[in-house]
Amino acid sequence: MTAPLPESNGKKYDLGFARWVYENVDGGDKLSMCMQCGACSGSCPIGTEMDHGPRKLFMMIRAGMKEDVLKSNTMFNCTSCYNCVVRCPRKVPVTYILQDLGRVAQRLGYAEAKETDNARFAKAFFWSTRKFGRTDERLFSAKYYLSFGVGEAIKMAKANMPVARSLMKAKRMHLGMPHKIKGVKELNAILDKAEEIEKREQGV
Amino acid sequence: MSERKIGVYTCGGCGIADALDMDQLEAAAKEQKAGFCKSHDCLCSDEGVALIAADVAAGEVTHPIVAACSPRVMEDKFRFDGVETIRANLREMVVWSHPANDEDTQMLGDDQVRMAIAQAKKSMPPEPWTEGAFSETVLVVGGGYVGLTAALEAAAAGHQAILVERSDALGGMSAKWSKVMPHLPPYRDPQENPVAGLIAKVEASDKITVMTDTIVTKTNGMPGKFEVELTRAGTPSAETVGAIVVATGWRPYDATKLGHLGYGASPDVVTNVELEGLLGDGPVARKSDGKAVKTVAFVQCAGSRDPAHLPYCSSVCCGTSIKHAIQMVDADPEVMAYIIFDELRTPGTAEEFYRSAQEKGVIFVKGKVEKVDGDLTVTYHDALLGDDIPMAGLDMVVLATGMVPNSTNVEAPALELEDEKLVPLKDDINPAAPIAVAGYKEGVDAPEAPARPEPSMPEGAPILNLQYRQGPHIPMLADGFADSHYICFPYETRRSGIYTCGPVRRPMDMGEAGQDAAGAVLKAIQAIRNVKQGKGLHPRSGDLSYPKIDLNACTKCRRCTVECPFGAIDEREDDYPQVNPSRCRRCGTCMGACPVRTISFDNYSVAMINDMAKAVEIPDEFDEKPRVLILACRNDAYPALDMAGIQRETYSAMVRVIPVRCLGSVSMLNASDALSTGYDGVILMGCKSGDDYQCHFVKGSGLATERMGKIEETLKSMMLEKERVQTMEVSIADSKKVGKLIDDFVATIDEIGLNPFKGF
Amino acid sequence: MPNGGPNSQAILVVGGGIAGISAAVETAEAGYDVILLESSPVLGGRVSRLNRYFPKLCHPTCGLEINYQRIRGNPRLKMFTMATVAGVSGEKGNYTVTVKTTPRHVNAKCTACGDCAAAATSEVPDASNYGLTTKKAAYLPHEHAFPMRYVIDPSVIGTPEADAIKAACKYDAVDLDETEQTFDVTVGAIIWATGWRPYDAKNLTAYSYELPDVINNVEMERLAAHDGPTDGKILRPSNGEEAKRVALIQCAGSRDHNHLAYCSRICCLASLKHAAYVREQYADADVDIYYIDIRAHDKLEAFHQKLKNDPQVTFHKSKPAAIVEGPDGRPVVKGEDTVTRDVYARDYDLVVLATGMEPSTAGFDLPVTLSQDDYGFIVPHVEDTDGMFSAGVAQGPLDVSMSVQSATAAALKAIQAVDGA
Repeated sequence: MTAPLPESNGKKYDLGFARWVYENVDGGDKLSMCMQCGACSGSCPIGTEMDHGPRKLFMMIRAGMKEDVLKSNTMFNCTSCYNCVVRCPRKVPVTYILQDLGRVAQRLGYAEAKETDNARFAKAFFWSTRKFGRTDERLFSAKYYLSFGVGEAIKMAKANMPVARSLMKAKRMHLGMPHKIKGVKELNAILDKAEEIEKREQGV
Repeated sequence: MSERKIGVYTCGGCGIADALDMDQLEAAAKEQKAGFCKSHDCLCSDEGVALIAADVAAGEVTHPIVAACSPRVMEDKFRFDGVETIRANLREMVVWSHPANDEDTQMLGDDQVRMAIAQAKKSMPPEPWTEGAFSETVLVVGGGYVGLTAALEAAAAGHQAILVERSDALGGMSAKWSKVMPHLPPYRDPQENPVAGLIAKVEASDKITVMTDTIVTKTNGMPGKFEVELTRAGTPSAETVGAIVVATGWRPYDATKLGHLGYGASPDVVTNVELEGLLGDGPVARKSDGKAVKTVAFVQCAGSRDPAHLPYCSSVCCGTSIKHAIQMVDADPEVMAYIIFDELRTPGTAEEFYRSAQEKGVIFVKGKVEKVDGDLTVTYHDALLGDDIPMAGLDMVVLATGMVPNSTNVEAPALELEDEKLVPLKDDINPAAPIAVAGYKEGVDAPEAPARPEPSMPEGAPILNLQYRQGPHIPMLADGFADSHYICFPYETRRSGIYTCGPVRRPMDMGEAGQDAAGAVLKAIQAIRNVKQGKGLHPRSGDLSYPKIDLNACTKCRRCTVECPFGAIDEREDDYPQVNPSRCRRCGTCMGACPVRTISFDNYSVAMINDMAKAVEIPDEFDEKPRVLILACRNDAYPALDMAGIQRETYSAMVRVIPVRCLGSVSMLNASDALSTGYDGVILMGCKSGDDYQCHFVKGSGLATERMGKIEETLKSMMLEKERVQTMEVSIADSKKVGKLIDDFVATIDEIGLNPFKGF
Repeated sequence: MPNGGPNSQAILVVGGGIAGISAAVETAEAGYDVILLESSPVLGGRVSRLNRYFPKLCHPTCGLEINYQRIRGNPRLKMFTMATVAGVSGEKGNYTVTVKTTPRHVNAKCTACGDCAAAATSEVPDASNYGLTTKKAAYLPHEHAFPMRYVIDPSVIGTPEADAIKAACKYDAVDLDETEQTFDVTVGAIIWATGWRPYDAKNLTAYSYELPDVINNVEMERLAAHDGPTDGKILRPSNGEEAKRVALIQCAGSRDHNHLAYCSRICCLASLKHAAYVREQYADADVDIYYIDIRAHDKLEAFHQKLKNDPQVTFHKSKPAAIVEGPDGRPVVKGEDTVTRDVYARDYDLVVLATGMEPSTAGFDLPVTLSQDDYGFIVPHVEDTDGMFSAGVAQGPLDVSMSVQSATAAALKAIQAVDGA
């Protein structure tokens, strides 16, 4: 069960926050092992998309920058490529920590958690998974684009047309009815159960 | 000694006979009045060695001259009991570095033989100095962890030890530690403090005499026979000891100078040493209100690595704060410990200790603390976040203060010294002097060398109060550490038979300091055992010769007493110099210093060097063959010349090389006499002087430069150009450069022209 | 003499690097018989292949020369080169040690005249230059070799070249039939000073050690050494051009759970020294040092400050993520600068990996059970009943001064062991 966040009384730096992360975020106890060498952020293929990058985010956690950490987009931009985990000299499970930190931020209602590209993308992905048991590139892209509003969605769809054409040429995307897997119902049951367990564990 | 019989053995091997006319070598030997000259085609073969051995056994020769390879090889083969072998280097310095069957090469070879014979005529087998009784007791000064260890190590090696402690109890600083850093695997957890156990062992030992409340008020004498005055409560007593181990340790940097870090602003800003007193089995209660400390910040480099305070890194503070943080978290898992550091220094396996603290949740932040307020808010500039961060809500702030060496006793008043200038107490080298760089890019200025505090008399009384001509202190390097200047010989300080160890030498933790104590004791025991056989100490270990002064000629000029790098020569009441033989390291600096050449060794003297130089046949001016005398330090320049030969580098055959013990042993008279006998130039080759000097006799090359600087006037009076005498820095790695240096010098001589004194 | 005098028991020192030499010389000069074993053909170990020491920038050969003088002048010290320990039995005060020698194919009659090398035609990798160059199959290891005696590489044994080499020797010093030998010695105490090897940079896959201009720190020492492959000029191995933009990468393997978990202690200072080497040679050189923490402990901090004061030496607090080959073949160092948060990709003429020290004893079956830590370092001394001690880097990652200190301490422990035995 996640303990309540420390009350910071409007302070930018809260000494209790680091300990809170250590104890409440998956892999957070390993975060203490970080020695700020920068190998993770340097290895990150999309580090430039991140506002802070993993290394600095970890430093911010230690400094107690609760709000800045939970509002960060860093955790939502992680693609779990594991470059950082492989290179980390201290065996810090960077990707796990980022993932769980993202979940925690979302649960605690930090807006960024809902509005970042990655969050929208993940939501659309999850919708497609529940619906078809797999991703349908057209519908799940459409769902993702539409989360930005109709006007924006049309622009994005147009911009991605050449990619779509190539995918079709390579038979990686098709027109017509979406393919469904056989056990969609069973898959949904598994996902329901997983959500239930997660909620129970989080004490919601 | 009975009649001197000089025999020359020339070797034709390794290409010598192919390049030189052996008969002519023999002729040169005969003309120089060698008793005989025998030739062999491989002297180092069993047969060759047997040839010499038979002559030695038959009493045919007392000074066999082996004219073959360098003295740096085959030393064991040509060592014969009861006689003094002299070497003439025909291989590395003649046939390997000069063209074969050449007139000049032959002249060089002939001269090598002549010089060796001149040496043999002057050299006497040294008689060791072993007068009177020698003590085998080790005096250990300082009763802390290092001193206790040293006394026990000396006792375990079978020696009596006297352990002197200034305070009323043994244990020193480290007795206060609740736990100590680990230095054995698995290197992860604080360890029990060993000091109480050591005290019990020391007290139980029948070989160790403990004297607390005692200081050393006088030290006279020399290794093997130091006369020390130990004063307890105003009452002096006398002891004779063989060697002294100084383990006076350190004191914490004065925290009252750290007001900017909040010291004094709150009782809950404490130093790391003060924290030791608060650490127990349970949580730490803070001083102000007794409240249990839940959140604590450690401020690293509190005074250390700060030019305004201590310029050096105190080495142990990172590990100490880690130990403290672990102890506090172990006692109360709710404790949040922050360590604010600039560079976290847990070298070697101590990295494991750092990780151990991280695993326990200790938080490390990289930053520079800017201020600590009375409410314990620590404001630091976080280098990685680029922001000034106020750390609020702390219960305690710990300043990780550094180590100041106890190279003096600050609890006692300083002595009045008659002439401070004559006391070479501190090195005048600047460890922060910029490195020599090729230059700076356009638009980039060379930075100024950071200013260092002027060397000055340290506060407090001398630890040993040495009754030496060169003053009462143990010499110190920069920042007051009584350390060795040599990387490869860390126990070589400038006072023979006196070895420093532990943090008085260099900031170090207990793991290292314990070993350091053992190392210093080994050196002390070694000194004790060697000096009573009259043997010299490092670097001329085992040398039996020592300087003898003919007082009839002495002018009481005091140069020898001032210039000896080891303070081995004192002044008697009548102002004549007095050599303390077992303090002497046999470098010959006194010999080089003496203006009336009245100091000499049995087998080494100014006169011998002069005779060797004079044995060279100087061609007359019409031959247009200049002669240049090279006096080369046998530790660096001579091996470099040897290796030039091994690499078959060639250089002018106009030079004649005489190895010297150290450039410090070269007298100005050696240079001026050479010029007056027709040499065209003189080169003194020695190692680097100045900052980072490399001379193993401390200042030999520096002194040589200084002395030769003064020779200009002499040259002027002889109407000679100053370019004819040059001091060259040649390192042992200059085998490929030294030839060019020589050729350039000979070219300069060619330009100036030959010495007009030739033939006079 | 204390305890009725040192008994006749000798002390064995295993390893002829700076720690072993120091332990042997200090022990012998305290009045004991010492046997010194070295596995290679010459004494000097790793330090003899260094160009200079930090922080004085003096040459290691200078101190070695003095130590060799001390060895030559001391008949109580016997040394065996190309010799290793094959087995140990017995106990403190009475060990029987089986020594194995590998053939040098040159006996004590060698005068070092060099005729064998002149007769040799094939070339073998030069170990004294870490294989960066080759040398004749009959060779003197280097100009400062001690003992000064040639070696015949086993690769030529059984070839006509070997016969030519033998025929060239006037002194009957070449022994082509020499075989591996073993013999026993009895000693009272043993000092293990087996030293270290550089951590294999090939394991650092992200750092592209296979690129010609990516080298390790011991190779950098050879590039700067007057008797190295470039006569001391720091040149790019790929094309021989002057290396003026140089990156020095700290913790290349050290402080890394995937490689060496401990800190190797010396690499920071060694790299500062390397920066000095480059700056001494080229007025317009720029050196970048990438580091996690600069560990210039104690008075060595002054050396750190010296280099920090040089405007053409830049310190980046960053562990590089990767080194890749750039479009022009130059190595490109990539990572995140943790202070500025810049993600950089910078190209260099030369990249030096500051690889750490791995104990020689790691990963090898020792001939005797010694107390070792998880990394393979030998614990200095465990119990009083034990007559075996470690010294130098065999004991932990130490610098030269600390190695000598530990060797001197081990010398004392060894004489205590044989005196009390």
